[in-house]
Amino acid sequence: MKSLYAFIGCLLLTGIAAAQEKDLTDSVRTVLLQEVTVAAQQRGQQQHLYRYFTANKAATTEDIMARIPELSLVRRGSYGMEPIIRSFNSNQVALLLDGMRIHGACTDKMDPTSIYIEPVNLNSMEVRTNGSSLLVGSSVGGSINMKLAEASCHDEGRFSGSASTGYHSASRAFFSSANFNYATSRFGLRATGTYRNSGAYRDGSGQRVPFSQYEKVNYTLHGKLKLNDGAYLRVDLLADDGWNIGYPALPMDVGYANARIGSVTFVQESGWRGWERAEAKLYANRVKHYMDDTKRPAVPMHMDMPGVSRTSGMYAEAVRSLGVGQKLQLRADASATMLKASMTMYQPGQPDMYMLTWPDNRQVQGGVAAQYQLRIDSATQVQVSGRVDVTDYALTSQGGKDQLAVFGYSGEQMGFVIPALSVQVSRKLFPSLKASFSLGMNGRAPSAGELFGFYLFNQFDGHDYIGNTKLRKEIGQQAELTLSWQQQKWKVQASGYISKVRHYIFGKINPGLSVMTPGARGVKTYENTAQALLAGGEGSVVYQPFSGTQLVSTLKYAHAQDNTGNPLPLIAPLRNISTLRQHFNALWLQAEMELAAAQRRVSVAANERSTGAFSLVHLRAGYQLQQGRVLWQLNAGVENILDAYYREHLDWGNIARPGRNVYMQVSVGF
Amino acid sequence: MNRYFSLITAAVITLLFIGCAKDNMEPNKDTNDALKIAEGYAIGAGVQVQLYAAAPLTTGYNFVSIALTDSVSGQSIEEAAITLMPMMDMGTMKHSAPVENPASKASNKRFNGALVFTMPSGSMGSWAVEVTVTVNGRQGKATLPVAITEPRQNKLKSFVSKVDNKKYWLALVQPTAPKVGVNDLELAIYEAKGMMAFPADSSLAVAVTPEMPTMGHGSPNNIDPVHTGKGHYKGKVNFTMTGLWYLNLNFKKGDAVADNATFFEVNF
Ligand SMILES: [Cu+2]
Ligand SMILES: [Cu+2]
Repeated sequence: MKSLYAFIGCLLLTGIAAAQEKDLTDSVRTVLLQEVTVAAQQRGQQQHLYRYFTANKAATTEDIMARIPELSLVRRGSYGMEPIIRSFNSNQVALLLDGMRIHGACTDKMDPTSIYIEPVNLNSMEVRTNGSSLLVGSSVGGSINMKLAEASCHDEGRFSGSASTGYHSASRAFFSSANFNYATSRFGLRATGTYRNSGAYRDGSGQRVPFSQYEKVNYTLHGKLKLNDGAYLRVDLLADDGWNIGYPALPMDVGYANARIGSVTFVQESGWRGWERAEAKLYANRVKHYMDDTKRPAVPMHMDMPGVSRTSGMYAEAVRSLGVGQKLQLRADASATMLKASMTMYQPGQPDMYMLTWPDNRQVQGGVAAQYQLRIDSATQVQVSGRVDVTDYALTSQGGKDQLAVFGYSGEQMGFVIPALSVQVSRKLFPSLKASFSLGMNGRAPSAGELFGFYLFNQFDGHDYIGNTKLRKEIGQQAELTLSWQQQKWKVQASGYISKVRHYIFGKINPGLSVMTPGARGVKTYENTAQALLAGGEGSVVYQPFSGTQLVSTLKYAHAQDNTGNPLPLIAPLRNISTLRQHFNALWLQAEMELAAAQRRVSVAANERSTGAFSLVHLRAGYQLQQGRVLWQLNAGVENILDAYYREHLDWGNIARPGRNVYMQVSVGF
Repeated sequence: MNRYFSLITAAVITLLFIGCAKDNMEPNKDTNDALKIAEGYAIGAGVQVQLYAAAPLTTGYNFVSIALTDSVSGQSIEEAAITLMPMMDMGTMKHSAPVENPASKASNKRFNGALVFTMPSGSMGSWAVEVTVTVNGRQGKATLPVAITEPRQNKLKSFVSKVDNKKYWLALVQPTAPKVGVNDLELAIYEAKGMMAFPADSSLAVAVTPEMPTMGHGSPNNIDPVHTGKGHYKGKVNFTMTGLWYLNLNFKKGDAVADNATFFEVNF
C-alpha cells in the first residue's frame, strides 16, 4: 500500500510536466465531437455529425448520443440511459465528466455520469475508441468525456444569458432551463439551471408505461479568473437532484438521487518553458442514491437500497513541440473513490434484515501517459501512445470484510497494474482518400461491483450476482481501420474494428449457491472467461447536393461472441439513421428515418430476448428570429409519427419506447 | 506557475490520504469481568467457593468459573479437584444436568468449566449447583443455589434418536454474538442416560443448513460441525444479512438419520 502512495506521489510530481491535447488531428481515431482545437484542422466526420444533431435545440444529451454511430444507450427507464461504446459494456468504457471520474452510487447502474449533463451545460463531447483512449484512462472499450460549458472573459464587460422551455406530449413533460453569464476582461461568471418534470409516457399502443416518470433539477456555477498572461483559474460547481424517478424495467424506483461535483482547474495557455499548454485539475464529488419500492404494487417485502460514492482526484496534462512535425503530450492522473451501498428489508415484527450490497471499499487509481506524434511527410503521420495505470482496491470496514469472508475473501491484495500501448498510422492514399490504421493494447481493472457485489439482483437475466475478489484484469487488443473519402459534395467515412478481450469478465451461473432475492432464477458469480471477440463497423455519409440541403446517413453493425462462439448480450443490431435537412433562411425543416434490423443473435446465458425490427419517422423544424441583441429560437417536431410500438434491443425488460410525441421548445437569448 | 502546481500537488496528496487512510478498528470485547453468581462454603475442605459467569445463568450452555479461597489463610487455591453437579429439586423428583468439570489447575486463579441447564427455575422447581472440592486430600461440598432464566433465544434442544431411541441434549455454544459473515458454530451434545448421567456424545454426524425463513433463502459455504472432544462439535455457519435465521440440523448415526427436525433460531 505504501508503495502505491509513493507511486501516486511521484505521479503528482510528474504532473508538473503534464499534458493537454491541444491539437487533435483527425488522423487520430478520435471521435472528437466538437472542435476544441485552436489550430484549424480538417473537420472530422463525427464533429460534423455532432454539430448537425445539436442544431436541434430541443435534443437532450441522450438524443444526441443515440445518433452517434459509435455510441449506444442501455435503457432501463426514460431516465439515466447508460452510454456505451460499440459492444463494450459500461464497466469497459470510461465515462468522464470534464476529465473527472465520478462513480455511480447505484448498484443497479441507474445513475451513469451522463445524467449530470444537461444540454445547457454541455460544451462538447469527446468519444475516443480503444486506441486513443489510453491517454485519459485504462479501459478496454474507450472513453467518453463530456466537457462542461465554462465561464468566459470578455474585453468589454457584459451580461448575457438565455432561457428556454419545452413540452413533450408523450410523457407530458416540461423541461425548462436558463443560463446567465457575466464577463469582464479579468473574470467571468456563469450560472445555469435546469428543471425537468416528466410524467409516465405513452407507448405506441396508447398505453401509459407505469413507473416511467421522473423529476429533477440541475444547477451549475462556473467562475473563471485570469491570473496573468495566458494563465487562468477555473472553478466549476455542479449540483444535480433527481427524485421520484421510475425505472419500468427494474423492480425498484429511485426515491432520490443527488450529486455534488466540484473542481478547480488551472490552465496555462501560452508557452511556459517550451510547453505549449498545460492544465491541472483538482476535483471532488459525492453521489447519493436511494432506491425505493414503496410505490410498487404487491411487493412481498419492502426494501430500501441506499448507496453513496465519494471521489477525489486530480489530473495534470501538458503538450510540447519537439521540433518540426513532432509533438509530445504527457498526462498524469490519480483518484480515490470510496463506495458503500446497503440493503435493508423490513418484515413487521422481526428485526430488520440488513446487508451490504457494496461492502465499504475504496479504490485508489493513478496513471501516467504519454503520446508522441510524428509527421513523417505531408501525407503520413504516426502516433505512439503509452500508459501505465495502477489501481488498488481495499475493503474499509470490518463488516464488509466479514461479509465477503462468506465467499472466501481472506484479506488478499487487489492491486492491478495495467500497461497500455497503441500505435496509429494515417496516410493520405489519394488526394481525397485517407486511411488510418491503429493497433492497440489496453486493459482495465475489475469494477467494485464485479469484485465486491453481494447478491445484487440483475433484472436483465433474473440472477443474483456475487462479486469475486480474485478477479484478474481484462486485457483488450484492438485493430481499427478508418477510411475517409471527401469531395466537394460528399463526405464518406467507414471504420472497421476487431477487438479481442482476454479474461473477459462475465457472470457465470454458480450452481452451488442459492438465490437471495425472492423469485430470482439463480446465482451468478463474476469470472474471467478466456476471451471475447468484438468486431463491427460504422459508416457515415454526408451529402450536400445544394447549399442549404444536407443528407446525413449513418450505419452501424456489431458482432460479439464469447470464447465458445456464443453471442454476448446487449449487442445492437444493424442500424441506420438517415436525415434530410433543408434550410430556408431562418427556418429549417428536417425529416428523419431510423431503421433497426431485428436482433436474433442473443445471449442464451443472459436469458436475453430477441428484438424485432422497427422503423421510425420523425419530422423536425427550427426557426430563428433575431431582434437586436435578442435571439428567439423555436424548435418543434413530431417523433415517431407512425406511432410505432417498438423496443430497442438494448432496452431492458419488455418495455416499449414512447409512441408518437409532439414536442415544442422556445428559447430566448440575449 | 511552478507555485500553483506544487500547491495543487500538496493538496491532492493530503486529500488522498484523508480519503483513504481511515482504517476501522474493531473494539475488543472484554469478557474477563465475570459476574459473581453465587458463593458458599465447602465445609470438609475448609474452602470458600465462588461461582462466576459472564452473564446471569440461563437454560442451555453456560461457561462458568470457580474461585477457591482457603478459609484460614485467605489465599487463592491454584490446584484442586472439582466436580460440578447441578441439581433440580422438583419436589416429587430430582434431576441433574450435563456439566464440564474444570481441570485441576487454575488459570488466572479460576477453574473453568461449564453447566448446561435443561430448564429454567421457577414454580416447577429450583436449581442448586453442588461443588465438590478436594484440596490437599481434604474433600468438602458447597451447595450453591442458582436462579436460571430462559434466554432471549432458545439455546437448548433435545431429540430422541430414530435409530436407537436414545435421548440427546443439544446445546448451542457458538455463535454467542452472531454477525453477518462467517461465524463459529459449536454444539455440545450429551446423551441423557436417566436423571443423573449425561455423558458427552461423539457418535453423531451433524449437518447444518442455515435458512432465512422470511425470505426462503439459505447461505453458502457452511462447514458442518465435527466432534472435537468432550461432546463439542465445531464447524462454521455463514449469515449473509442480519435478521431471523434458522440453523436447521440433521443428525446421523452411521448412515441412518437420527433426527432431522431440530433447529435453532438465531435472531440479530
Ligand atoms: Cu439504483
Ligand atoms: Cu435474507
